[in-house]
Amino acid sequence: MTTTAMTTAASGIPVRPATRANWESPAEYNYEHFRTKHLLLDARRTVETSGVLPGDPAPDFTLPRSAGGGNLRLSDLRGKPVVLHFGSFT
Amino acid sequence: MHALWGDRVHFVDVMVRQAHPGPAVPPYATIEQKLADAEAYRREAGITWPVLADDLDGTVHQTYGGLTDPAYLIDADGRVAYYNMWAYSPVLHQAIEALLAQGGRGVVLGEGIDRTPHLLPAMADGWPGIRRGLSQSYVDMETSLPGSATALWLTHQLRPLLAPVALRATPLPPAVQAGILLGVSLLVGAQIARLQHARATGDASPGPRRPGHRVDRWQAG
Repeated sequence: MTTTAMTTAASGIPVRPATRANWESPAEYNYEHFRTKHLLLDARRTVETSGVLPGDPAPDFTLPRSAGGGNLRLSDLRGKPVVLHFGSFT
Repeated sequence: MHALWGDRVHFVDVMVRQAHPGPAVPPYATIEQKLADAEAYRREAGITWPVLADDLDGTVHQTYGGLTDPAYLIDADGRVAYYNMWAYSPVLHQAIEALLAQGGRGVVLGEGIDRTPHLLPAMADGWPGIRRGLSQSYVDMETSLPGSATALWLTHQLRPLLAPVALRATPLPPAVQAGILLGVSLLVGAQIARLQHARATGDASPGPRRPGHRVDRWQAG
């Protein structure tokens, strides 16, 4: 895990302490087995409000689109509201 | 949701790690695998908006809190207007409505956050994900919280029945909400009345009547 990832978001915006405390290393993040600790971690993240608080700037990022659709940069969508949803295939 | 708001709001999905890995769906080793799953997910769910793949370390996912299924509503200036920690469409729907009503800017619905673990929609939709991981995902989930994977399967079977509540895009109509509230109130009220009646008549036990109870008392008097 890089120090940058711990202290700043992809955009350089500081990550909130509640999020930093629950940050997982690449090996922890890509676990091989779903365990009770992952349920508990989610509960902790909910209670500690891990993430970006309302009113704060949404950390910017550039990520690839599926099916070779090129990159999308979040800040390019300014001017209209955005629903940003995270999900897993499994 | 997209059908309702797609012309006034951008929608973006971000594919995160394998939450329930298994032999057929191991943890991602390359970004290509993640992109391929993002595309499979897009096709399967019939999504017409961008599905992105986060990097392998989950940098963006973790920056945004790292929860399993969160949704953010970001305002027109790029600030967080609403944080729905466990995504539930009716909640987002209300947030979007409120945001558009105030010109697309600012925090909405009070402090702009919903921490309620909305498990019903996740359960009604979660089974296909577990099924992809074959037995390992199932066993892992059962081990982590006994009964949870079976509950997921059961909810999947009941999906048509639960869909009107679990998978709806908009809040329940006020009349239905009032109906449910009235029904629950009547049940609770009836129970309280029954207990009070039992106390007034000296029958302390509201449970099944014990045979002979009243006869004994009559004999004693």
